[in-house]
Amino acid sequence: MLSDLTDKRAVVTGAAQGLGRAVAELFIERGARVVLTDIDADALKQTVAELGDAAHAVPCDVTSETQVAESIRAAVELLGGLDIVVNNAGIEIGKPLVEQTVEEFDRLMAINVKGVFLGIKHATPALAAAGGGNIVNMASVAGLGGVPLLGSYCGSKAAVLRLTETAAIELRGVGIRVNAVCPSFIDTQMVERLVSPFEGATGAKFSDVVAVKQQRLGTSEEVAEMVAFLASDDARFVTGAHYTLDGGLTGSLF
Amino acid sequence: MASREPLLKDRIAIVTGAGKGLGAACAAELDSEGALVVVTDIDGDSAAKTAAGLTRGESAVCDVRDDAALAALVDDVVARHGRLDVMVANAGIATVTPIAEMSLEEWRSVLSVNLDGVFSSVRYAARAMAASGGGSIITMASVTGLAGSPLIGHYAAAKAAVISLTQTTAIEMRPHGVRINAVCPGFIGTELVTERAHLFEEGLGIEDFNAVIDMKQGRMGEVGDVAPLVTFLASDRSRFSTASAFVVDGGLTASLV
Repeated sequence: MLSDLTDKRAVVTGAAQGLGRAVAELFIERGARVVLTDIDADALKQTVAELGDAAHAVPCDVTSETQVAESIRAAVELLGGLDIVVNNAGIEIGKPLVEQTVEEFDRLMAINVKGVFLGIKHATPALAAAGGGNIVNMASVAGLGGVPLLGSYCGSKAAVLRLTETAAIELRGVGIRVNAVCPSFIDTQMVERLVSPFEGATGAKFSDVVAVKQQRLGTSEEVAEMVAFLASDDARFVTGAHYTLDGGLTGSLF
Repeated sequence: MASREPLLKDRIAIVTGAGKGLGAACAAELDSEGALVVVTDIDGDSAAKTAAGLTRGESAVCDVRDDAALAALVDDVVARHGRLDVMVANAGIATVTPIAEMSLEEWRSVLSVNLDGVFSSVRYAARAMAASGGGSIITMASVTGLAGSPLIGHYAAAKAAVISLTQTTAIEMRPHGVRINAVCPGFIGTELVTERAHLFEEGLGIEDFNAVIDMKQGRMGEVGDVAPLVTFLASDRSRFSTASAFVVDGGLTASLV
């Protein structure tokens, strides 16, 4: 059965809403038990209540090494071990690079890059203890090329791809696969927030750009399917890779 | 987990070069998800043998270098089954020769199967799929299409071109509901690779080809490592992916060293 996750034990970060929630939901549908983490404890509690018995809430700020380490410990205890970690938590800044403040830039890098680094670092002993497992990092097509107003986000996602590749090689010997997913514009609040600044800065209708470059917005469920495939044993020989779902965006010159 | 409908229930699929190796594994995997698979190969007996092992398999002789034969194959499948939903353009060959020592004939022989054959497979499939509302094409590219590949320069050039062909076709066919993606396996332990290990050892001046593979990929790949990815791309679960290349190589291309 394709992308079967029966009895798999997973952690998904940034899972109170958006892509993270969709990933947790699909994992549960495919048979996994999931610890959802998020910095917003109230929203997380609500989401976990909606997802049922296979979902557990562990509030966590991914920029804090202590909290990440503690969330992995809590997940191992709640689930009896750990097979999959999805480093999904991330934020964007929708401003021209030169208008971004150092504080904004530092915060974005702390969440999008340090958060993934800490996730890999602290998940590894737990995954190795389970005899191997895998990590899926939420990158983006923004890690493959420049996007106006998303300069720091692009830089952070490019960094996630390089972390993914190096971790994949270093951890192959202990049976841990590490891969990344690169979605383009997806129907999430993050993209919704971009529409107005994007139109202001470029003079183009955002919906036109989407129509020309990727035909339509992707959906969270579509991203979750890609993550589930990579997290499953069907992708057993896939490591250090980034799998793209972008409606053709990066496949065309214009 | 609750039981579910097979992902490719009643889809009509063609897999070229499916008499053995990777193509045969892809045919079996598509079959296991409910597709009716037309197995083609230049060797009709091997195609028939693969098809005989499937729940709903058919076979046909097809030399992918023969453009008219591809047109006829697709026409025949559409005439008998009403449509074509999935095409896996897999057929490929290889020889092991440095570029400087390669004859034009050798270059062309590999390009004619690995590039021209994919071109014909893709264009007839794309037309048929557009006519019936859409479909999914998977081209068998390779990690050799992503970087220099000593001793198999013709093979690598063809695979790089296949990735480009995949991208352009994807954008052109997107309004018609036809998706097309490339799969880039690393070294897979099929005859294509194992029978040539000694040639790589001689040509690269290394003692043990398999040890190098283990170092670069963790292990030799297996056809079963690639087939589920092809099935995923054939299915609606990947419906937002088109024009992309999907690497399955144990980490080979992730590392610079």
